[in-house]
Amino acid sequence: MRLSRLKALALPVAAVFATVACGGGGTSGGGSNKGTIVLASDYPASGGEASTGIPEQQAVAFAVSQHQTIKGFNIVYKPFDDAINGVHDPQKGAQNATTMAGDSSILAMVGPNNSNVAKAMIPILAPVPLVMLSPANTNECLTKSFPYCNPAPSELRKGSTNNYFRIAGTDDVQGPAMAVYAYQTLKLTNVAVFSDNETFGKGVADNFQKKWVALGGKVAVRNDYDAKNTSDFKTYINSAKAGGAQGVYIGATTGNKPCIFKAQMKGILDVPLLGPDGFALDPQCLKDAGDNAANIYGTTAGSDPVAGKDPGAAATIAAYSKVYTKSTDIATYTFQSYDCAILLLDAISRAIDTAGGNKPTRAQVRDAVAATKNFKGITGTWTFDQNGDITTPVFSYYQSDPGNTADSGWKYISSQGVASS
Amino acid sequence: MDGSPADTAQDPVAEELGADDPEAIAARDQAWTKGLLAVRADAVGSRWVRALRWVVLAIVVVVLAIMARNIATHGLAYFLQTIVYGLGSGSLYALIALGYTMVYGIIELINFAHADVVTIGGFISLTMVTAFGFKEGVVNGPLVLIALVLITAATMLLCGLLNITIERVAYRPLRNAPRVSPLITAAGMSFVLEGLMFLWKGPVNNHYPDLIPAGSVTLLGTTVRIKDALVVLLAVVLVLALDTFVNASKLGKAMRATAQDRDAASLMGIDINRTIAATFFIGAMLAGAGGTAYGLYFGNIVFDLGFATGLIAFTAAVLGGIGNIRGAALGGLCIGMFEAFWNSYFLSEWTQVMIFVILTMVLLFRPAGLLGMRVPDRT
Repeated sequence: MRLSRLKALALPVAAVFATVACGGGGTSGGGSNKGTIVLASDYPASGGEASTGIPEQQAVAFAVSQHQTIKGFNIVYKPFDDAINGVHDPQKGAQNATTMAGDSSILAMVGPNNSNVAKAMIPILAPVPLVMLSPANTNECLTKSFPYCNPAPSELRKGSTNNYFRIAGTDDVQGPAMAVYAYQTLKLTNVAVFSDNETFGKGVADNFQKKWVALGGKVAVRNDYDAKNTSDFKTYINSAKAGGAQGVYIGATTGNKPCIFKAQMKGILDVPLLGPDGFALDPQCLKDAGDNAANIYGTTAGSDPVAGKDPGAAATIAAYSKVYTKSTDIATYTFQSYDCAILLLDAISRAIDTAGGNKPTRAQVRDAVAATKNFKGITGTWTFDQNGDITTPVFSYYQSDPGNTADSGWKYISSQGVASS
Repeated sequence: MDGSPADTAQDPVAEELGADDPEAIAARDQAWTKGLLAVRADAVGSRWVRALRWVVLAIVVVVLAIMARNIATHGLAYFLQTIVYGLGSGSLYALIALGYTMVYGIIELINFAHADVVTIGGFISLTMVTAFGFKEGVVNGPLVLIALVLITAATMLLCGLLNITIERVAYRPLRNAPRVSPLITAAGMSFVLEGLMFLWKGPVNNHYPDLIPAGSVTLLGTTVRIKDALVVLLAVVLVLALDTFVNASKLGKAMRATAQDRDAASLMGIDINRTIAATFFIGAMLAGAGGTAYGLYFGNIVFDLGFATGLIAFTAAVLGGIGNIRGAALGGLCIGMFEAFWNSYFLSEWTQVMIFVILTMVLLFRPAGLLGMRVPDRT
């Protein structure tokens, strides 16, 4: 009952966004019109996570506006919103996937933003087969087979050929990347570890903790909270304090309150908050943390395009910023989302060639994506391995910079390439 | 006894009924066997209940033993600090639980919308705080406390008026309808309020500025911040005021009379509608104070906060004995404390489950709640 009421609220919101975003990717031009190919996306586009999801949508719309026709086909962008109640929702993602599966004009999808949503969508879209390319999913179990993965990647695809690709690094590397940074650069030795108990959050926290212990760090306390029913974090903060924590690592997304946790640390435990791309670079996180927003460190599973020296990237970013002018129009995975869109459009173009100039099948688009070699985007150069992961993952470190409105409140520190495991 | 029709000759009762009526005998025997089975089932049932009680008791002892061990290893300061935080959130639960218990006590309605009135209270006071231009991170001085008292008072008043309106529109027309009807209206009202708040502030977490001065006292390694003390103080003052009001004032007497027997109260010249409206007004005043305190204490407020919080607060009211004002306060405190202890000494994934396990166990031993329920007497 609750769910349907919220859906009723979410749908008009989604519809508004759909209208806006479609307007950006208009299909005026045409040449010889051979038909329409739709590029879909699935992001949390309403609520707290819209601060990440809307820029991601805008980036796809922008990419489509640059490629309104490909080899005689009109390209149309169709965004889907997977947020219910302001938070990404796997069931909503599965519902979107079913809609996409039934719409034969959709040949590829950008997204999703969240690992648990991907987990719900892959089993529906793998048999169809509709290719998915995520700029942001980092849970390792989506592509890599570890003993603790449930379900294993092959079960997730229900025996179908892999349809899921991503240009983000994985949490078995992202968690450890922050552990190394905290230990070697921030010189911490004792850290409390928490998570929102979700696929992504718990996974990245586990990976952080494993590496942290291996480095010789002490874990002050480990606990996983129920985000929906928790608004009082003081007992957790107290347990971290009692354990002598010099920092707190929280594996969570912004909607699951890690930055409210930071706000409540004020006056009790004044140590840095460390975390993954679930809240790093997110302006909403800084709002949640209030006047205790300084001293947050986060990783993202990609390189920073703005900080990069690539002139091609700079030109694209300048062009995007001309259309989307606010500082909040650039968030965590905005340009990774752009890269996903142009990579998929490139794969569609190659698949049209495979189909002899006709409209390609979904399987042909999927195979074209799998065959991508050294595709140059603005945040990196991508080649996929047999799992659907990139061969050269990169992680970036950011620090909150709440006084600064020019950079949406997050300061880029450095990037680091890691060998794919 | 063998009840087959062939043996009717040896059956004295069968002789009474007449040997030529085997159908009647069969029916009687069937009824008799049924009765026996029922008695046996009952015996088995009570034996089960008794056994279950022992099992429950054993589990409680084991859990307490583990907790005692954990408490010993973590030391006294940690224990006391946990109590401080438990008191803080427990006070808030108590404030919210009072509204549930008062309404249930007088018209036997679970007012699902109550916790949403709490959230609206938080939103109203947040809007006022923003409008007055108070910012966190700067020294606001004692003036801010005076302003907060005024803002809280205004919020309480507005919430009270809102709740009276809700009662007038959604509950009063159904006063004599079957009891499930107002229950459904209450659930509907909850959705309406949450929907309005969604439209008002959106689905995001709204940061509530931290305006309480940052001072604190440290004793035995335990820190009590002004914030922690204020929230408890607020709850204590309001609960005492309410208790005195209900027990000593004329309107309070009218409320108690209405709760006990509405028809008799009406015959004695009590204006039932006015009394019930007053109950809603007072419950919502506490909700307004609770919402403001929630925002200030936890630092954020979101439109659907009422769902999770309301469930816990209602649970607190049942735990203390529904309809019982002191019971609700005690129940809220107990749950806040329990939550704090479980989060501090055990894995928090289990906290919500354990709250309801505790509730079930308490009701198993004391079906009327800790302090006994007080509900309308109706035959």
